Amino acid sequence: MGAVEYGIQNRKVDDIGLIQGAARLTPERIQKTIQKVLAGETGAKLKAYSEICVRCGLCAEACHFYMSHDGDPSYSPVGKVKQTMWVMLDKKGKVSPEFIYQAAQVAYTECNLCKRCVQYCPFGIDTAYIMLVVRRICHLLGVIPQYIQDTAHSHASTMNQMWVKDDEWIDALQWQEDEARDEIPNLRIPLEKEGAEIMYSVIGPEPKFRTQLIMQAAVLMNEAGMDWTMPATTGWDNSDMAMYTGDNEIMARLKRDHFECAQRLKVKRIVMGECGHAFRSIYDMGNRALAWRMHPVPVVHALEFYWELLRDGKLKVAKPFEKTVTLHDPCNVIRGRGLHEKAREVVRAFCPNFIEMIPNREHNYCCSAGGGVINCGPPFKNVRVQGNRVKAEQLKATGAEVCISPCHNCHGGLEDIIHGYKLGMELKFLIDIIYECMEKPNAAE
Amino acid sequence: MSKKPMILILAAAAVLLFLLPAFSQEDIKQLADPAFGQAQRPAAVFDHDAHNEKAAIDGCLPCHHQGVEEGRFVEGDPVKCADCHEVKTAEGTPLMLAYHKQCEDCHLEKKKGPVTCGECHKRP
Amino acid sequence: MVEIYNFVVGPLAWVGWGIFVVGIIYKLIYMYSLARAKDYSSLDYMSLPFSLRSIFVWSIPFYATNWKRNPAMTVATFLFHICLIAVPVFLLAHVVLWQKFFGITWATLPDQAADYMTLAVIAACVFFGVRRATDLRARYVTSYKDWLILILVASPFVTGFLAYHQIFNYKFMIILHIVSGLAWLALIPFTRLSHMFLGLFTRAYAGSEFGKVRHVKDW
Repeated sequence: MGAVEYGIQNRKVDDIGLIQGAARLTPERIQKTIQKVLAGETGAKLKAYSEICVRCGLCAEACHFYMSHDGDPSYSPVGKVKQTMWVMLDKKGKVSPEFIYQAAQVAYTECNLCKRCVQYCPFGIDTAYIMLVVRRICHLLGVIPQYIQDTAHSHASTMNQMWVKDDEWIDALQWQEDEARDEIPNLRIPLEKEGAEIMYSVIGPEPKFRTQLIMQAAVLMNEAGMDWTMPATTGWDNSDMAMYTGDNEIMARLKRDHFECAQRLKVKRIVMGECGHAFRSIYDMGNRALAWRMHPVPVVHALEFYWELLRDGKLKVAKPFEKTVTLHDPCNVIRGRGLHEKAREVVRAFCPNFIEMIPNREHNYCCSAGGGVINCGPPFKNVRVQGNRVKAEQLKATGAEVCISPCHNCHGGLEDIIHGYKLGMELKFLIDIIYECMEKPNAAE
Repeated sequence: MSKKPMILILAAAAVLLFLLPAFSQEDIKQLADPAFGQAQRPAAVFDHDAHNEKAAIDGCLPCHHQGVEEGRFVEGDPVKCADCHEVKTAEGTPLMLAYHKQCEDCHLEKKKGPVTCGECHKRP
Repeated sequence: MVEIYNFVVGPLAWVGWGIFVVGIIYKLIYMYSLARAKDYSSLDYMSLPFSLRSIFVWSIPFYATNWKRNPAMTVATFLFHICLIAVPVFLLAHVVLWQKFFGITWATLPDQAADYMTLAVIAACVFFGVRRATDLRARYVTSYKDWLILILVASPFVTGFLAYHQIFNYKFMIILHIVSGLAWLALIPFTRLSHMFLGLFTRAYAGSEFGKVRHVKDW
C-alpha cells in the first residue's frame, strides 16, 4: 500500500457504548457470534456479493462519505466492506474486540444504508445489506453506539422510540388538539375511533420535540374532511431504530404492534407522517422480518397522501409559497418507493419557484443522517456533517431560500449541514408549507 | 536449314510435357488448395516425397482415396481433394476437415508428426 | 509432443470443461437452495421482467449513470468482455477443433479480426492492471487474488497471441495456451470469475427489488 494507510483506525471516535461493549468481548464469543450469524442468518446473497465483487471501486462515487473526503477510499462502499465483512469472512470470525469496535463504527456511523451504491454497482451489489449484517453481528455482540442503543431500549420497553409514556402520548395529542383549535375551532384529534378510514401514525420524536407536526397533520386531516383516528395505545409509533441497530427481533415486534394496532382499530389504511426510515421499516424490512410480503394493512406515506388529497381536490392551494425552494429526495421513500414525481407534483402545486437540486430523484445524495447515523448521537455529529460536504455543495448550488425535506432523519441531518456549512437556508417539512398555504374552510375568521 | 534442330526441339518439348507432372510432384512443398479462396493461415508445410519416404508410405492410400467400402478407403486416381470434398457441405466431410483429419489422425495414430495448428501452418 | 498434445486436448480438456460445466451447475443449484433456505425474503421479490430490464439496461455501454461517469472504464470493460467471449468462441482454429472432435461448426471470425480482438483483451487487461495499481478506489480493495485472477484471465490470450504468431517456442506456447485456457475455464465457478453467471442473478435481484418493490430505476 501507499504511504498513507487509509482506514477507520485513523478516525476512531470515543463512544461509551462501543468502548464498554468491546471491553466485554472475548475472541471466542466474537467468533461464535460471527459464525452463528453467517451460517444462520445469511445465505446466497452475502456469498454471491462477497465472491463476485471484482474490486473495481466503481461504487465509490455513489457515496457521499467518499465524495466528501477528497478521495479517501476507505469511505467508499466497497472500502467499508473491506474493513468489515471481508475480514470477518476471511478469518472465519477470528477477529479482535478492537476490530469489532472499528467495524461497528464503520457500519453504524459511516454508512446510511441509503443504497445509492446499489445503483452504481454493475452487479447491483447491495452494500447496505452487507452493512446491516455487520450491524447485526455488532448488535449480538453488544457493541453499539450508546445513543442509538438507547432508542432501541426504549422501543423494547415502551414500544416507542423516545421513552414516551402512555399518558404523555395522549397528553401530547390533546395539547396539539388544543393548539390547533385556536385556528380551527371544530378540530378534534379522534382517539381510538374504531372503523375510521385512516389511522394516522407518527414517529416517537413527534410528540417529543416536533410536536407541531402533529398539529399540522391534524389540521390537514380536518380540513380535507378525512375520517381518521390516532391510537391511544402502543403501536402509534411507526418508527424503528431497532431495525438500524441490528435488533431484528425488536424490529419485528414493533411492526407487529403497529400493524395490529391498525387492525384492532379496524381502519382501512395507515397514513404515516413525513418519515423515511419508518416507511422502510413498514415497507421493506419490518414486514419481511414478520414474513409479510407487503404490509398487511395498506400504508400510505405522507407524500403520497398529500398527492392523493391534491388530486381529489380535498387539498387546495390558498396562496402560493413564493420563496425559492428546492426538494431533498429522501432515500427511503424515493429510492425506496419511487414517490419522487408525486412529491414534485405537490411541491410544484404550492411552490411556483421550485429549483431542482442536482443530482435528484433516485440519484439524490443522502442526507448522511439516515440509517440510524443521526441516532448515534453527538459523538458522531461531526462524522456525518464532515462526511456530507457534497450535500452542502449540492444545496448551495441551488441558490434556493428554502429546502424541503420530507423526512425526519433527513431533516435533522440537513439542519446540521446547513448550520455547519453556513448555508443560510431555511429547512421545512412539506407539511409546513402545506399548512401555511392550504385552504382552511373551517378556520376561524 | 536442317530439320534436326526442329526435331530436337520437338523431342525436348515432348519430354518436358510428359515429365512435367513428375516434376511438379517433386515440387509439392506445401498444401495450398486454391479451393479455399483466401486462406486465413499460411499454407500447411508438406513435402510430399520427403514425408512419404520418412513415413515409409509406398502406395497412394490412405491419402488418395476414392470413397469408402466396408470402412476402408478405396484406392483411386490421385485426383485433387477438392474434386470430391467441397469447402462447405452439409453431407460428407468438408474440405478443411478432410485435410485436417487426413494428416492429424494419422499423426496421432502413429504418434509422429505435427498435430497442432502452427506446426503445419508455419509462418514464413 | 503428440503425447502431450493428446493429453491436454484429451483427458485434461475433459477435466477442464467438466469442472467448468459441472461447477457452474453445482454452484447454481447450491446457491439457489441456499437462497431458498436463507434468503427467501429476497427471493420472493424476484421478477422476470424487471430482472431482464436490469440486465439489458446495464448491457448497454454509456447508458447507466455510472457507465457515463467512467468512460475509460466503460470502454475497457465492454471491449474486454465482448472480445473475451467472442474470440474463444468464434476463433476459426477453435471451431476447427469442435468440428474435428464433435462434428459441429458455427460462424467464425476472420483471423485478422480475432487477432485485433485478442490484442484488445490484452490491452484491457493492461488497463485494468494499471488502474488497479494507481486508482485508489480500486487499489484500496485489491488483494493478491485480484492480481492472480487478472493474470489468469490474460494468460490464454497472451499465449494464444504468441502461439498464433509463432513467437518464441511454438510447441511450448500452444501447450501453455491450452493449459491456461482450461485452467481459466475450470476456475470460473470457484473464483471471482463466477461473476460470469452469478453476476446475472445479483443484477436480476437488484433489478427486481428496484423495479418491483421500489419503483425506481437501478441504473
